[in-house]
Amino acid sequence: MRRYLLNRLWQSLVTLVLATIVVFVGVRALPGDPALALAGEDRDPESLRAIRQQYGLDQSWLVQFWQFVSHAARGDLGQSIRTGAPVRSMILSALPVTIELSVLAILIAAVIGVGAGVVAAVRRGGPAEWAANALALLGLSVPHFWLGLMAILYLSVALGLFPASGFVPFFTNPVDNLHHLILPALILGTGLAAVIMRQTRSSMLDALSADYIRTAEAKGLPPKAVIGKHALRNSLIVVVTIVGLQLGALISGAVVTERIFALPGFGKLTVDAVFQRDYPVIQAVVLVTATAYIVINLLVDLLYSVIDPRIRVRGEA
Amino acid sequence: MTRRLPLSLNRFTLRNRHRNLAGIGAAVIALALVGTACSPVEPAGNNSGSGGDSSSGTQAPAGQDVFGEPADASQVKQGGTLTVALSADPDKLDPTLSRSLYSRYVFHTMCEKLYDLGSDAKVVPQLATALPTISSDGLSMTIPLKQGVKFADGTTFDSNAVKISLNRDLTLAGSARKSELGPITSIETPDPKTVVIKLSKPFAPLTAALADRSGMVLSPAAVAKLGANFSNAPVCVGPFKFASRVAQNSIKVVKDPQYYDAAKVHLDAIEYRIITDSSIRSANLKSGDAQVADSLSTQDTPALQKDDTVTVLQSQSLGYQGLTINIGNSNGVGNPLKSLGTPLAKDPRVRQALALSIDREALVKSLFGGLNTVACSPISPKSEFTSDAAQVCPAHDPAKAKQLLADAGVSTPYKVEMVTSNNPDSLRLAQALQGMVKEGGFDLVIKPVEYAALLDQQDRGDFELLQLGWSGRVDPDANIFNFIGTTGSQNVSGYSSPEVDKLLTDARQSTDQAQRVKLYGDVVTKLQQDDPIIYMYRQRNLTGVSKKVLGIQVYPDGVIRTAFAGFAK
Repeated sequence: MRRYLLNRLWQSLVTLVLATIVVFVGVRALPGDPALALAGEDRDPESLRAIRQQYGLDQSWLVQFWQFVSHAARGDLGQSIRTGAPVRSMILSALPVTIELSVLAILIAAVIGVGAGVVAAVRRGGPAEWAANALALLGLSVPHFWLGLMAILYLSVALGLFPASGFVPFFTNPVDNLHHLILPALILGTGLAAVIMRQTRSSMLDALSADYIRTAEAKGLPPKAVIGKHALRNSLIVVVTIVGLQLGALISGAVVTERIFALPGFGKLTVDAVFQRDYPVIQAVVLVTATAYIVINLLVDLLYSVIDPRIRVRGEA
Repeated sequence: MTRRLPLSLNRFTLRNRHRNLAGIGAAVIALALVGTACSPVEPAGNNSGSGGDSSSGTQAPAGQDVFGEPADASQVKQGGTLTVALSADPDKLDPTLSRSLYSRYVFHTMCEKLYDLGSDAKVVPQLATALPTISSDGLSMTIPLKQGVKFADGTTFDSNAVKISLNRDLTLAGSARKSELGPITSIETPDPKTVVIKLSKPFAPLTAALADRSGMVLSPAAVAKLGANFSNAPVCVGPFKFASRVAQNSIKVVKDPQYYDAAKVHLDAIEYRIITDSSIRSANLKSGDAQVADSLSTQDTPALQKDDTVTVLQSQSLGYQGLTINIGNSNGVGNPLKSLGTPLAKDPRVRQALALSIDREALVKSLFGGLNTVACSPISPKSEFTSDAAQVCPAHDPAKAKQLLADAGVSTPYKVEMVTSNNPDSLRLAQALQGMVKEGGFDLVIKPVEYAALLDQQDRGDFELLQLGWSGRVDPDANIFNFIGTTGSQNVSGYSSPEVDKLLTDARQSTDQAQRVKLYGDVVTKLQQDDPIIYMYRQRNLTGVSKKVLGIQVYPDGVIRTAFAGFAK
């Protein structure tokens, strides 16, 4: 086990270093100079020189990389080139928004997806299944941007049900917080709801034809108990796994949703930083994202190996 | 009991998926994040100019300026938070380092200036009590200051604070103000209410610069405490003071009880919310989530004008949109000039032909619904430096354009590549131009690039023709010298004319208004012969305002004045 653990830790470290290098080089390979992007209209050679000097952009890539890595190792992620704010505090204020948005989106997607999936499986061949399938197809194919725009136009502007933008922190006012987040979470959750619906339907169909269901039915259990207690419960295991695998898609979806609803989240922070060539912010957000991914995967792998020793053995082979 | 996992998802394959994710996930995410830079999304802050297009209040005839009215104190409620939807994120909230137009919206409420701009685009006193007295040799400028004024931190505003702020503008590393302050040699403070600025050469644009960020006075106590980090908690004199900022999302300012004219301030707070997409800004305005929205698109404006709950303010900007032709920028701005060698770069007749091929009237009508106005020079008709010569506009004449190309020995269609921003508005403009100049013998090839890349290509001289605008400044010097003066910091065209240089230097050093007007007229005449920049149209600053709010004003400088607004009773 120790050897396996060390092996996995080593792999994680290599991945992190590679991701850092790829981002560092990739960002600098983009056309566009952060000093020019910052200087905008009021640029002159002297101030461009000063900006480059202030942020170390006049140094070689190697020196810049070393400075970034050595500072990051000490927990200093630098300052935003654009606003001068500490990147660490920018990330710390953006992360909770995205986490809350994602959790809400998963909850909404799970409720809609599982509900529609069960109905589609139980009422197979009927209009309910047709409607659920159509809904899933819509959820998968319609882009978040368009859906968001439509939601703002009809639910916010025309009906005035939800705010079109803005964010209130949960601990400031939980009701306002939810009121602001429900619409973006609903939009973000549509794709995931569709995936969950299809997966639930498929798992349920499998389960409903299984022997233990027939046994349950033969024992005279009411249909509600057969579906809810036996079939659905077993089907959900796969659904939960699928939700985990879809987390990446959720994060990329959050980028678009946060921009539309002007939410101060991680996705918006990242994309705006890329457009503004704010190198310290881009590097830091990627470092944080990569670290989160690696840690989660490491924990999942370790957990699997604890649950099932065969995995550990294969991993060591 | 057998647990069957459909879709071939057993624990081993799941585990392998996790292994794959662990192995490549981070790198893929990293690449995906970088990849977003290549996607054709509207860039944040790519509106180089001060506004969009135009239209006006619901009742205003097309093309007429509507600046908005000051609030009548008897008609507004006390209190409330005003939400302003901003089209781009302001940069540093430090008047010395700030470089974006959008920061000026926020500064307006919390950093007053020595001078301000009136609705007629003329300079008026703000923290000064009168316009400056300039010595007969033009080398000394005396500014009288207001008394009894306090900064938001409670410290006293006086001539020493002005001196510290101006010196900071002149010396701080990365200062964006240094060049606009001109040849200042020293700043003297004979008493707390008088500042005397000494110059090595007369510099006429200085008063206008003091009506912008150079004229903002910072609290010396806050400067001493925060230094270059002043932008994290800026302290000035203003109706509102800085409260908080959420990166790339919002900025909040709250009413400052210390403000000398606090009785005129009705709102409790103003929140600037960054919403880069113009349709979503309009939607926020209509839904009531924002009460003010800047830089409306010409496409959204007609609908907003019909909306009973919204007023559209409009003012003609002091800037321009144009085409820059690369004449001699082969090695980047600031490096020795060398012609590209193409007919367009070498021969003024070819550039004139291109200028004559553009039907500005049709462009303004068809593309912007008549909301923007035709421009043929860098001097706005709203400027006090305008003249007949500065507003001459050569007629659209494709036949003459073809003739000029033939005279220059160019075979038609003459292929020219035009670099432009990849946002939808710029692309629409490029396509309209493409169709238009065909008649004059040009085959325009559009090269859309992302905004940050466009700036880069522009400065490196990696273009033949480029479309970009300028938001405009009050003094014409700031709209011309940097762009076409041989030593101009933004002379991306690589244009050099000793005659134009002399006219511009004379104009910059003259304190005689009539003489400056004449000199700028002569500059425009010469520019229309050489065409390093083809001026096309002038944008209108279009601002949507909810009718629930009174007292929002927008002047030709494009800055939204929200400080003395209030919610209607």
